Amino acid sequence: MKGGGLRIYAWLYLVFLYAPIVLLPIFAFNDATIIAFPLSGFTTKWFAEIPNTPALVQSVQTSVIIAVITALLSTILGICAARAGAKYRFPLKAPILGFIMLPLVLPEIIVAVSLLVVILALGLPLGGWTVVLGHTLICTPFCIAILNSAFANLDPSLEEAAFDLGETAWSTFRLITLPLVMPGIVSALLISFTISLDEFIIAFFLTGTEPTLPVYLWGQLRFPQKIPVVMALGTILVALSVILLTIAEIFRRRGIARAGGKDTGGFL
Amino acid sequence: MSQATSATPPIVSLRGVHKYYGTYHALRGVDLDIGSGEFFSLLGPSGCGKTTLLRTIAGFEDISQGTLLLSGQDMRGVPANKRPTNMVFQSYAIFPHLTVAENVAFGLRRRRDLDKRAKGALVDEALEMAGLDGFGPRAAHALSGGQRQRVALARALILKPKVLLLDEPLSALDKKLREQMQNELRRLQRHVGITFILVTHDQEEALIMSDRIAVMFEGEIAQLADPQTLYRRPLSRRVANFIGTMNFLPARVNGDMLDIAGLGRATVKPDQAPGGMPSGDGHIGIRPETMSILFEGDATPAQTANGKVVELAYYGDMTYYDVLLDDTETPVTVSMKNLVGRRVLERGDRARISWDERSLVVFS
Repeated sequence: MKGGGLRIYAWLYLVFLYAPIVLLPIFAFNDATIIAFPLSGFTTKWFAEIPNTPALVQSVQTSVIIAVITALLSTILGICAARAGAKYRFPLKAPILGFIMLPLVLPEIIVAVSLLVVILALGLPLGGWTVVLGHTLICTPFCIAILNSAFANLDPSLEEAAFDLGETAWSTFRLITLPLVMPGIVSALLISFTISLDEFIIAFFLTGTEPTLPVYLWGQLRFPQKIPVVMALGTILVALSVILLTIAEIFRRRGIARAGGKDTGGFL
Repeated sequence: MSQATSATPPIVSLRGVHKYYGTYHALRGVDLDIGSGEFFSLLGPSGCGKTTLLRTIAGFEDISQGTLLLSGQDMRGVPANKRPTNMVFQSYAIFPHLTVAENVAFGLRRRRDLDKRAKGALVDEALEMAGLDGFGPRAAHALSGGQRQRVALARALILKPKVLLLDEPLSALDKKLREQMQNELRRLQRHVGITFILVTHDQEEALIMSDRIAVMFEGEIAQLADPQTLYRRPLSRRVANFIGTMNFLPARVNGDMLDIAGLGRATVKPDQAPGGMPSGDGHIGIRPETMSILFEGDATPAQTANGKVVELAYYGDMTYYDVLLDDTETPVTVSMKNLVGRRVLERGDRARISWDERSLVVFS
């Protein structure tokens, strides 16, 4: 068989990548507190227990709120930066854009510690908004990277044509630019939401009295009897992410088909 | 200078227009009047400033120095969306997420005075004019090159601009379609009576379509004339070379008397030196179709020259011979119709050529 070795490698790779995720639902429905084979029986009680763990519900809420705000903020900032980068020439453009992208390669622990130092030095209280701040900082470069390609693929004469036909700069942006880069915006929202939702280090350093989900889970790992509930929650989250990603991909493909572009990537 | 002026009052008027990009001097003092209802072409090689000039008129570029008037009004500080001009872009810039009808109707969005039905009627009219009957509901991204071009035209003309600006609109089309669209554009322009300003690097296209042509080199207008004058009386060797093919031969000039290398003696009229009659060393230009090769039995005209065929290109309807005239160094091109019974010479054959001093153009 042609490429036999590579094929086996690819399969092993996929198994290694996804086997742990497959274990998640298996143990979420397993009627035992100990995470081990053989399975003892089918149950949904771990799912039923999720609402009875107020701290868990609270942390999910906190995380989702932070992730939504982070996604919106970093995508808006990303749109501004990507558009400026694609459309305008200004002094020190390359260094400025370079510095904006820096958090992408900066160790998160350094970002987290330095933010903590600054916030404490300013005497500000830690809380949800400090986490949003930190997450926006690390998510924005991702959004810019995604949106850069969306804006760069845009024919500049499209905006000129709309302007030439009597529209203002703002209505041109709303009627032409925005719909055409919408797939990129959806991608940016989704990526930054996901990054924020499962980010641990910055959240751990900057969170106040209300922990985010990863921080809460990390705390719960010391109590083995709580692990099946965590597994149940994990199962729900995986299912939700798959659904979300599928929807986003459908929108992205539809957008590309509508704009007549060539499909050059995506999630699925 | 034999700069033709149009009879109607100018709708576009440029005076001493300069444009700098940093230190790059893109437009170097352009003076230009374009009349109402004219089909005007800006012709030149890439980088000559013709597109910059067009974008200046459209309002996408501001001018560094000089004035631009559109129907008598100074356009300084007037942005593109407030100017009585519309543009057909080189890429056509069809909005890919809209239908054909939505594209065409785009410019009507701000027309509060029109209701939905009136707008629909205008769109239908524009589609019909552009030859796009029934294309309204189609998705814009599924159109062919020629159809996109038509949508771009309909979209720009629906606002009834005073001036329609066309930036190399035919360069993306294949040869057959381009020739067809050249005819259609010309007909459309006569029909709507709007001033068209066309940017092109294709001299043939400019000659076919235009009432007048401005030939541009390095940010300056080298010559402004109607197609026939441009072809017959080019101001410089550079213009002559850019418009069609012209042979150049060195000549001694003494008043109106010439002694031309390879051709011999000739007398010319003053208008045959549109760039000014040189004295002493100069050049003459002669078009391939104004010379012919003499065959046995042809009447012998007054002016003949002898040479040798060094190369030939057979085009079916025409044959182009490169003939090295006796006592010259570079061959001249002579074009001959392939008439019935006329033989095609071969490389190395001796050739006797007839020419006419009235077709000469004298350059310095």
